[in-house]
Amino acid sequence: MSETAIFVRDLHKSYGSLEAVKGIGFEVRTGEVFGLLGPNGAGKTTTVEILEGLRPRSAGQVSVLGLDPARQSREIKDRIGVCLQTTNLPDKITVAEAMELFAAFYSRNTDTNHLLDRLQLREKRDAFYSTLSGGQKQRLALALAMVNDPQLVFLDEPTTGLDPQVRLEIHSLIQELREARRTILLTTHYIEEAERLCDRVAIIDHGRIIAMGTPREIQARTLGQSLIELRTAQPLPSLMPAFAEAGKIVVSDDRRSLTAWSPRPARTLVDLVKWVDQTGVELADIHLKRPTLEDVFIELTGKRLRD
Amino acid sequence: MKAYLAHIRTTMKLTMRDRIVLFFNYLLPLLFFIVFAQSFGADRGGAISQVITMVLIMGVLGSGFFGAGLRAVQERELNILRRFKVAPITPLPLLVSSLVTGVLAYLPSLAMILLVSRFYYGMPWPERWLSLTLLLTLGLVAFRSIGLIIASVVNSMQESQIIIQLMYLPMLFLSGATFPVGMLPHWLQMIAQFMPATYLYTGLNGILVRKESLAENWLPVTGMLITTLVAIFLAVKLFRWEKDEKLPARAKLWIAAVMLPFLLMGGWQLYRQDNIVKAKTLFREMRRNRALLIRGPRIFTGERVISAGGLLIRDGRIAEVYETVPPEKDAKAEVMEAAGKTLLPGLIDARVHLAMLDGGMERKLAAYLYCGVVAVRSVGDPPELRAVRAKIASGELLGAEAVADASPRFDQPSLSAAEARVEASLGKSALLDLSLVLQVAPEGMIEAARKLLKPDGRAPGETLEAASDKLLRAWKAGLPLLAGTDSGIPLLVHGPAIHRELQLWVKAGIPPHAALQAATSANAQALGFADRTGRIRKGLEASFLVVDGNPLEEIAATERISSVFFRGERVDRASLFKVD
Repeated sequence: MSETAIFVRDLHKSYGSLEAVKGIGFEVRTGEVFGLLGPNGAGKTTTVEILEGLRPRSAGQVSVLGLDPARQSREIKDRIGVCLQTTNLPDKITVAEAMELFAAFYSRNTDTNHLLDRLQLREKRDAFYSTLSGGQKQRLALALAMVNDPQLVFLDEPTTGLDPQVRLEIHSLIQELREARRTILLTTHYIEEAERLCDRVAIIDHGRIIAMGTPREIQARTLGQSLIELRTAQPLPSLMPAFAEAGKIVVSDDRRSLTAWSPRPARTLVDLVKWVDQTGVELADIHLKRPTLEDVFIELTGKRLRD
Repeated sequence: MKAYLAHIRTTMKLTMRDRIVLFFNYLLPLLFFIVFAQSFGADRGGAISQVITMVLIMGVLGSGFFGAGLRAVQERELNILRRFKVAPITPLPLLVSSLVTGVLAYLPSLAMILLVSRFYYGMPWPERWLSLTLLLTLGLVAFRSIGLIIASVVNSMQESQIIIQLMYLPMLFLSGATFPVGMLPHWLQMIAQFMPATYLYTGLNGILVRKESLAENWLPVTGMLITTLVAIFLAVKLFRWEKDEKLPARAKLWIAAVMLPFLLMGGWQLYRQDNIVKAKTLFREMRRNRALLIRGPRIFTGERVISAGGLLIRDGRIAEVYETVPPEKDAKAEVMEAAGKTLLPGLIDARVHLAMLDGGMERKLAAYLYCGVVAVRSVGDPPELRAVRAKIASGELLGAEAVADASPRFDQPSLSAAEARVEASLGKSALLDLSLVLQVAPEGMIEAARKLLKPDGRAPGETLEAASDKLLRAWKAGLPLLAGTDSGIPLLVHGPAIHRELQLWVKAGIPPHAALQAATSANAQALGFADRTGRIRKGLEASFLVVDGNPLEEIAATERISSVFFRGERVDRASLFKVD
């Protein structure tokens, strides 16, 4: 098997005069979990649909499992698994029937019983789709995406709209897939999901990749300053000394809480605590936050992911 | 192939689980079947084929527009199709599966309706059951294709609802699914010719009633095949997996492209009219095929008299002649009480001149039927007669049967002609004031005829007395008598003259029985259709009249017509002269 599962270079896609994708390039290695992050309308879905063979591209090179999606979409669809957002099945189809139906579309099948076991859907085999809970529906969607034993799986926002418990379940499933050395391309709104699951992440905005690497690399590469938040029992004095190494410091209107940014948080933390102690004000709470992908994202794009 | 079978199998299971589908596919047709059957009197014979066709068309329309069309839109709107989009399949398995499951789910309904028809309504199994099933299948496939193309071009549920209603309702009301097409005014029938359902109606009905084959219905078959192929081709091309993909409004013109075969066929029908004619004649056959039990009339069979008997007619023929009054619940038939009336074979006029006198040929022959005359011998054979004769034979038009025969063997004196000639030469118009004459004469004709009348002083030829005398001597000599009138000469309007003739015969001394025999069974014998009509006998055509009173005692009673039956149909005399 080739080491590269997905190869994209200088990908462009225009809808009339609107350019949705403006020269994207990345590579996904076999066995890797690759995350695509970006706000709505960033070009994520368009990119993924081009890879899945659902949309033609305007320009650029694309190879998926060594195939060209523009000319070999049928072969690609046969070998990949796709779990789309907001899909539905007919109300009165049973879990087993849905599995059987979709299995018939592919040239290669996996053991569906085993799959249902793994996704904890065994006892729901004969239940109608309409009677399943949200989590069960999502697990079924994953099962259907796996029905052809795919080498490459596309997961489009697999946990959007699910409660935290179910989200954790899905996460552990994806971990399992990862351990089985399947290649996964995941698009998500959830930063922590990307941080937790992805080997590498690309952040897309306005049709371009604005950052790419391991979650840790991306955090490190940006100006990412840690953040210190403290709260006090009495108001802080208005006069404040200059702290060495600290960046911006903001004090709330009631002067009972303070937020400070710093590239060297340990140093700043000690300075702050010392000062508060000297003023005689009682410290109520203090904590330190490392920059998250979300912070990085906000810094890079100027907006939140879930706008 | 695996994909097709799997999808068909799954859709079939889903269909059978869907209560709405079960209701519309099985329960509703059965309910409609029973309601229609009761209101059309199908349990009394005749209309059952019509009722079956109506229910089948309703089912096909529902299956096509709602079962296939609306459902396809729904699947897209509910993001179900989206799930299929990522599988390595084209839209074709989904479309084919919709067609196949539609047919498979509907056929039990056909079987159910035929079973009820057979065992409850006593209809024989359709002889052409294979043609029936095939045409119905093709109809389902064509209408489901139309449904799918609608689904392919609309952008929302609302749009699909509007388009479906715009197509469904006119077809439901105009194409024979709610009333027989033949009942509609002519211009509405013309509009109906642009609808595929109309051809399905005439096709299914033709197969059921006339035992036609599929090949005889090649026109609708071809139209529906083309529609199906075009629709499926376009549906694949225009297929959308996602509700967010919208098509421009002009895409809706593709529906017209799919309907094109029928738009062309409709245009062709404006000129040819043969399908309209078929619908009319099928409607006529339905009226003719009804079962009716006439209780209690005096019956003159053409030869003898039954003083109080009964008559059962069915499928256009005399099914039974009863020597005594039959019990009401004897046969599955509508009942007509006729005690005190006299039923006699349809009258036959052995000599008329159809080319003479004003008025169209259709009108003249209708006037004969109005007066209870079911057949005439025309001395001449005017060209316009031929077309009308064919229309009457097919049932498109109602009118007396007209045989053209100029041979002189029928020549014998006509008393009504002698009388008319004398009156005309004297300039008298009393003969135009007879009740039946006034009833059948075209508007203005009497006035015009009256104006032309003036004494001409010429010898009228043979007087009525001389002619009467000659006739009586012939009868006494035992010569066979035929009753003819020479209608068409001045003062002898087409239609009622035979009644005058019979009255003059009785006045001349011929017994009413012999006169009536001459005008019915003897004439039929001489004209060579005694094996079909001219008598009240089991197996012959049900063409007869019912009159008030007893013409065997008082011959003028033949003019007091209560009803006229022609080939099993009770003629709506009041609307015979209506032109549409």
